[in-house]
Amino acid sequence: MKTELKNTLEKIISFSNEFGADQCDAILSKGESFSLSAQNSEIDKYKVSGAQVIGVRAIKDSKVGISYTESFDEDSLKIAAKSAVENAMNSEVNEFEKINTTEGEFIFESEFKKDNTSTEEKIEFCLRLESEVKARDSRVQSVPYNGLSESESASYYLNSNGVLGYSSEYYQSCYTSALLQEGGESSMHYHGVIGRKLSDLNVDECVSESLTHASEWMKAKPLSTGNYDIIFELDAFSEILGCFSSIFSGKGAMEKTNPFLEKMGKQVAGSGITISDIPKYKEAFFVSHFDSEGIAHKDLTLIENGILKSFYHNSATANYFNVSSTGHASRGAKSALGVGGTTKVISAGKTSESDIVSGEYFEVHSLQGLHSGANSVSGEFSFAASGYLCREGKRVQPVKGVTVSGNFHKMLLDINIIGDSVLSTHDKGFFSPKLRFENMSVAGA
Amino acid sequence: MLDKSIANDVIFEALSLGADFCDIFVEKTQVESLSMNSSKMKDIKTGVDFGIGVRLIYGEKALYGYTNSTQKEELIKLTRVLAEQYKKKTQIEHAFDFRSNNVHQIAAIKDLDVPLAEKIQKLHEVDQLTRKANSLVSQVNAGLMIRKQNVEIFDSEGLYMNDFRPYCRLSATAIVKDGDKQATGSWSPGTRGGYEFVKNIDTEWIADYTAKQAVNVLRAKHCPAGKMPVVIDNGFGGVIFHEACGHSLETTSVEKKASEFWDKKGEMIAHEALSAVDDGTVDNLWGSINIDDEGMETQKTQLIKDGVLTNFMCDRMGEIKTGHPRTGSARRESYKYAPASRMRNTFIEPGKYSLEELLESMGDGLYAKSMGGGSVNPGTGEFNFSVQEGYLVKNGKLTDAVKGATLIGKGGDIMKDISMVGNNLDFAAGVCGSVSGGVPVTVGQPAVKVDQILVGGKA
Repeated sequence: MKTELKNTLEKIISFSNEFGADQCDAILSKGESFSLSAQNSEIDKYKVSGAQVIGVRAIKDSKVGISYTESFDEDSLKIAAKSAVENAMNSEVNEFEKINTTEGEFIFESEFKKDNTSTEEKIEFCLRLESEVKARDSRVQSVPYNGLSESESASYYLNSNGVLGYSSEYYQSCYTSALLQEGGESSMHYHGVIGRKLSDLNVDECVSESLTHASEWMKAKPLSTGNYDIIFELDAFSEILGCFSSIFSGKGAMEKTNPFLEKMGKQVAGSGITISDIPKYKEAFFVSHFDSEGIAHKDLTLIENGILKSFYHNSATANYFNVSSTGHASRGAKSALGVGGTTKVISAGKTSESDIVSGEYFEVHSLQGLHSGANSVSGEFSFAASGYLCREGKRVQPVKGVTVSGNFHKMLLDINIIGDSVLSTHDKGFFSPKLRFENMSVAGA
Repeated sequence: MLDKSIANDVIFEALSLGADFCDIFVEKTQVESLSMNSSKMKDIKTGVDFGIGVRLIYGEKALYGYTNSTQKEELIKLTRVLAEQYKKKTQIEHAFDFRSNNVHQIAAIKDLDVPLAEKIQKLHEVDQLTRKANSLVSQVNAGLMIRKQNVEIFDSEGLYMNDFRPYCRLSATAIVKDGDKQATGSWSPGTRGGYEFVKNIDTEWIADYTAKQAVNVLRAKHCPAGKMPVVIDNGFGGVIFHEACGHSLETTSVEKKASEFWDKKGEMIAHEALSAVDDGTVDNLWGSINIDDEGMETQKTQLIKDGVLTNFMCDRMGEIKTGHPRTGSARRESYKYAPASRMRNTFIEPGKYSLEELLESMGDGLYAKSMGGGSVNPGTGEFNFSVQEGYLVKNGKLTDAVKGATLIGKGGDIMKDISMVGNNLDFAAGVCGSVSGGVPVTVGQPAVKVDQILVGGKA
């Protein structure tokens, strides 16, 4: 933790108090990153960045205002503090949002330190990502997206009651893609991996995953329009769950936009489904210690045996519903108070692998149109999809040019085939057994 | 914002280290955002973004870095870090005599210095009118975003340009509920201009439109799946061209051969009925700019004329790598991104048919009245986009409202299948995300008829 940045937080809190805030808190983020990408055996992009921002939230007469600045000189801090208080005075009474955390100091320095690999080694690594893709398949027209990046960040929290939080992170990641072309047909796939140091990054996995799927999908055909059982590859299912994560939002419930508002304590998923939020899940890549209001994170059961047990709450939504905060406040330096989850884990079920993959099903690997094809309120979705038609666990036909449609709320309720072992997404951010969804609508040929 | 002598020293340092070219992008942006929910003013946020981006070009390599500091020492240090791997000692003259070019200034709706209370009142108006528009409205979200971006650009060819870019956008979402069923309708008009735009906005129309759209979606049946003809109406329907073709005409994709059109300039890539432009010069439009983020005067670029590919959208790196001339299309979300060739106001030019003529000629099919967003893989041309409000058409007449429709296909195919173009050109504001971040763009088109496209819906 850097003393001068802690001092910056103390200054903006002090200025906010001087301008008349009854309560206030501030979030400061500072990050540095480095990234590279290669084209035609040369580095074509090389980026170095350093950025900082501080955001202050002021409460005055039970009204809330926020402001931020990227300049940390005293004048800029004063202007931001004054603006936050003025914004609060122009706002309307919000009897639920308060800054009541009075105890706690959370200091978590990342155990992962900056990799000392030289820039030359990183450049060589990045060039290898591109050359390996080209070397392994003569149909590769180009490797349009490939690169390596390194990120180091620190996040600070301080409120007017003296609660202090600090955490830091360091990681590297790389990605590559293969664009194949032959006989007027083209196909592309992209894959990325994440690690704590350069030597953790698996070039072979990156290249193989990109090439294998791009190559298979050169032979792909659309399925005939109809209903199919579907098993989503876990990264794809994680993306779908992300589109509909508002079902767990206490803020959405308070604002009456959460479709599960009236479903607390009711069956919302198949009876074998238990979904938890585990901030320090031992297999996860990132762990999280405290939320954006300086409250310690703790495990939370969202759905237990299909019954909705809790929403994510910050102190404001908790006050509204007269429950305790679950420690899931989410706020960036530039944003208002919200709620957010950490690592979601779906518990293992009872179906063996051989039963899960019995008969015919569509294994979906890649989805497109997630940001536009989902309605988070109604639960309706329709996504373009690629994957494989499988029989008895074997891929018998690559598939692309189809859409998968349905209603996520119904899909959740209908799950009853749940694998008996928990798997992870490639980025180790989501954990779930295989889930087989029956009779889903697929449009194709 | 940045002292010219410091800019001079930074560029001198870059060229001394052997860079072929260097530019500096300085940005200060004031942001004001208001959001209302449950008829209450929930969040009022203000802030200032400030930063400087430095780009060095060595051959076909672009090296980019940014910082929040205006200190000469910090900027020189950043330049040296960028050049570290590629530096070569070069003798150059020190002095630059920065010059500015006169460029055409697009007209912008004027900014009004109105009290915050007046802006809040406007959102209350949207909220109340929407709630009155239909008894099924259970919630209204209304928001206002005002952004004032000041930029300065210095480069090693001696260019100094500055620009002020005001943006103003209102957003409104109606949520309707009937029993267990919920649906939404939304509208988000924006301008590259000031608050007078919002002051003059017809809030009754917005309230009526969003509530009606939400109720239509609530009552809609599932869309049948399969290949069928589709008429896509004007305004945000232009997202089809944006996704299916526009991204593939940015040299950001062309330079990597990650575009199905990279070698098709001068060839017929679309139906002869189709002509399209990307025009940064239209007064007041959300995607308009006076200069691009490399300091070049923007222009109107004819992309397709009568089906023939005539131009790409090109930035400096695109020109270096592909040889296509720059088009004033270099754009970025902020100083945190290097510029890239991006769309501005992209639209299909109007044809001669009325909407009714398009529907009649289609016979049976789908009428997509309003579109959601979409995405494309420029390398393969595979795109998808969602229909926000759609209706089935029987014998040229609208019948049932349908929901859950997604249109998918390949850009090269659909451009040839747009066989009729209407005469009701209209525009809509959006934010396009790509390699240089989210930038304000306008999509637009008159109604068009696509002879055949795969509609994803209920099997």
